[in-house]
Amino acid sequence: MSITAENLVWRIGSKTIVDRVSFVAEPGRMLGLLGPNGSGKTSLLRLLAGLKRPQSGRVLLDGSDLASLGARAVARRVAFVEQHATTSTNLRIADIVRLGRFPHRSWLSRWTHADDSAVDEALLRAGLQDRRSDRWQSLSGGEKQRTHIARALAQTPTELILDEPTNHLDIQHQIGVLKLVANLPITSVVALHDLNHAAMFCDAVIVMQHGKIVASGAPDVVITEALLRDVFSVEARVETSPHHQRPCIHYLR
Amino acid sequence: MNPENGALDTKALFACLMLASLAAIGLAIGLSVGIGDLPVPLGTTFTAITNRLGWTSVEIDRVYETVIWDYRLSRALVAAFCGAGLALSGAIMQSLLRNPLAEPYVLGISAGASTGAVAIIILGLGGGALSLSGGAFLGAFAAFCFVALLSNGTRGGADRTILAGVAASQLFNATTSYIVTTSGNAQQARDVMFWLLGSFGGVRWPEFMLVSVVVSIGLVACLCYARTLDTFAFGDETAASLGVNVDRARIVLFALTAMMTATIVSMVGSIGFVGLIVPHTARALVGPLHVRLLPACMLIGAVFMVLADVASRALIPQQVLPIGVVTALVGVPFFSIILYRLQRAS
Amino acid sequence: MTPLAAAPTSYPLTLDNCGAKVTFQRAPQRAIGLGQNSAEIMLLLGLQNRMVGTAFWPSKVLPQLAETNAKVKLLTVEFPTFESMLAERPDFVAAALPTLLGPSSKVAKRGDFERVGVPSYLSPGTCLETKGSKDAYGNRAQLWSMEVLYREIDELSRIFDVADRGQALIADFKTREAALRASVTPGDKKLSYVFWFSSPSPSADAYLGGKNGASGFIANLLGGRNAIGAEAEWPTLGWESIIAAKPDVIVVASLDRNRWELDKPEAKIKFLKTDPAVSQLAAVRNKAIVVMDGQAMNPTVRTLYGAEHVAQQLKALGLLK
Repeated sequence: MSITAENLVWRIGSKTIVDRVSFVAEPGRMLGLLGPNGSGKTSLLRLLAGLKRPQSGRVLLDGSDLASLGARAVARRVAFVEQHATTSTNLRIADIVRLGRFPHRSWLSRWTHADDSAVDEALLRAGLQDRRSDRWQSLSGGEKQRTHIARALAQTPTELILDEPTNHLDIQHQIGVLKLVANLPITSVVALHDLNHAAMFCDAVIVMQHGKIVASGAPDVVITEALLRDVFSVEARVETSPHHQRPCIHYLR
Repeated sequence: MNPENGALDTKALFACLMLASLAAIGLAIGLSVGIGDLPVPLGTTFTAITNRLGWTSVEIDRVYETVIWDYRLSRALVAAFCGAGLALSGAIMQSLLRNPLAEPYVLGISAGASTGAVAIIILGLGGGALSLSGGAFLGAFAAFCFVALLSNGTRGGADRTILAGVAASQLFNATTSYIVTTSGNAQQARDVMFWLLGSFGGVRWPEFMLVSVVVSIGLVACLCYARTLDTFAFGDETAASLGVNVDRARIVLFALTAMMTATIVSMVGSIGFVGLIVPHTARALVGPLHVRLLPACMLIGAVFMVLADVASRALIPQQVLPIGVVTALVGVPFFSIILYRLQRAS
Repeated sequence: MTPLAAAPTSYPLTLDNCGAKVTFQRAPQRAIGLGQNSAEIMLLLGLQNRMVGTAFWPSKVLPQLAETNAKVKLLTVEFPTFESMLAERPDFVAAALPTLLGPSSKVAKRGDFERVGVPSYLSPGTCLETKGSKDAYGNRAQLWSMEVLYREIDELSRIFDVADRGQALIADFKTREAALRASVTPGDKKLSYVFWFSSPSPSADAYLGGKNGASGFIANLLGGRNAIGAEAEWPTLGWESIIAAKPDVIVVASLDRNRWELDKPEAKIKFLKTDPAVSQLAAVRNKAIVVMDGQAMNPTVRTLYGAEHVAQQLKALGLLK
């Protein structure tokens, strides 16, 4: 149930994007991945999901090296949701969520009861159980993102990796998606831009800068005024919110 | 959990559609066999076919029998398979490249074939050892390799592949023009034009053997990838995250479409719009899931092409319109509708 | 190959034609002239009563054949369909272009006719083995000659059992050829010719007749030479290069098709006289411009007629004696 990064290094040409990153994502918890643009978050997520191969270091799933597992085996455990995956086709929500069963089905296998349950469960969790026949092009941004999360959940993964899932959503759906992910019983690693959201929803956070981890731990420990100044170059005051007992950042004008 | 009633209904509906398409193909082929410049009585038409199938042995005019069997029937069947193959290739191109305007020639295959063809017609390359079709096929293959190299194998991504295809088309078309203008005479230039516009006039039973085998293999192989193709709907990364070997899938599927398209183009020339329009029509009827889309494309493509061939022969008596003209006449209004719909959707 | 004596044909007649053995049991009575070249040869042999159809005419028929041609059914001026030919119930088909009859033809293959018992004949000029002087790049290494044509006339005449007419026609052509050559007095200046087929537009490159093609043959026949040194059969040149070639005579082709404005000879002459640079050419200032049937620039029977027409005009202009 745990996903571990061990000294991951990833380079493009001579430029090092991910520089000896190591961390452990606690089972069942939501780990936030923070950092300014160019800090290597996106690449790190893809290394964790097995979409890119590191030049050195490894990713461990419950102790097994990700690289030694086949793509399908990985996909049965680890689900990945992109920032903004679009299509010009007009698939129904049910069909999109069913795509998540792909790694579990071999060439000739028929659709099973287990497949059905996984899909129904995923739709339920994402709050889309009444919308299964709706078509993709008729959905709002939030609904599209939830459909992707449902698809990922249909993979019955033990780890869920999301790349800035709230980027282009309105505030209602941003909160909705984060609530959904936070309430999931599986391990999740989420890259986020909005530091307040990270503070509110994540059980632990990692902050990256120039490819290295510069801070990690619980949000109230990591998110400090000094960090905001040094890493994010903003002036702010951090207080514990009386409403949700989590850090709350007040950005200064 | 039961599938909702909707899914059950569409399964039955799909089966009906497939049966109706098969019937439509039969009718279209029947129509094609019955129409031509030589007036053949209907009864004789039937008898000619049953004779050759070995079911009857009635004495009929040798000319009628040859025209019906060796000329019209083989031509209709080749047209059906060519339509099926082009539609199938078009559907796969549109899915892999995630572009609703993609079609089989987007990888420069038709341009490459034209260069191969003029090299044979005008330059006389191969010294007679290589037939026109053989040369065209080699040219198509060369274009495919060029695009594969230029788009960096399969790591290039859809946009890069499309750009490489555009480059290949330009390059090979320019080469064709160069050969025609520097080495050809006015007659040959006209011959090349005629060839490029596509025609089923030159096909007989040997061509049927080839195209039926190639397209059948293509269909079976592509159906094996039907679910994989569905995963490409949201792009390479999503597909990879679902456990798809994206590189291998793309190279296999591109190679399959290239094989089908190159075979068809080298046999009958370049016939446009079929590979673009039919997948959209099929998608509108049976939905975007490939396990249904691919067979639907094949059937609709087959009917369309046979009817287009009938039209190209029947519109002007004693003369054949290049079939590319007929498909364009139907295709352009359709194409405008697609563009309009895309416009509205965005 | 030396032509045989004009004896009556003894059937069955077997010919080697473009790598295939074709056998005739009797003289054809229902022949199809598939293509202008083949049709015109058959008409020249006086076979109109044994022809049931012709097809594919890029230009108008030879004026002297117009009347007899009117007696033969015209299937279409364009590419015909295989079935429309069969509908005439032919017993013989002759063609001269591989796109009309051949393995890569979209109209018909020799096997198609064979299967219904109709023998076919392809002009020797289209067969690889007699392409001879023509190399792979559409160039002619040697000057074209009428030998291949004479062979075709001979073979066709024997197929139809009119060998005497065939020999007479060949003799007539040979006499005309010799007469043209003789008409040029030795010591006369060797004229250089440019044969202008057509151009898409006045400023575009012009399609010319190459050095060793039919145009070169005509120039040679008239005791001169083709000013264009390109060996390609249909070189395209810009007017600057044509001016540099300093031709003595410009032959403008008259085309029946109406694809380009400059297809018409009047349009070509107007361009020559009004273009600022070209009008300064010696040939134009001396009014050494003659008109010729465009089809004569293709290596066919019409080449000789074209040469005669050119000679006639040049004599009238006083450039040839």
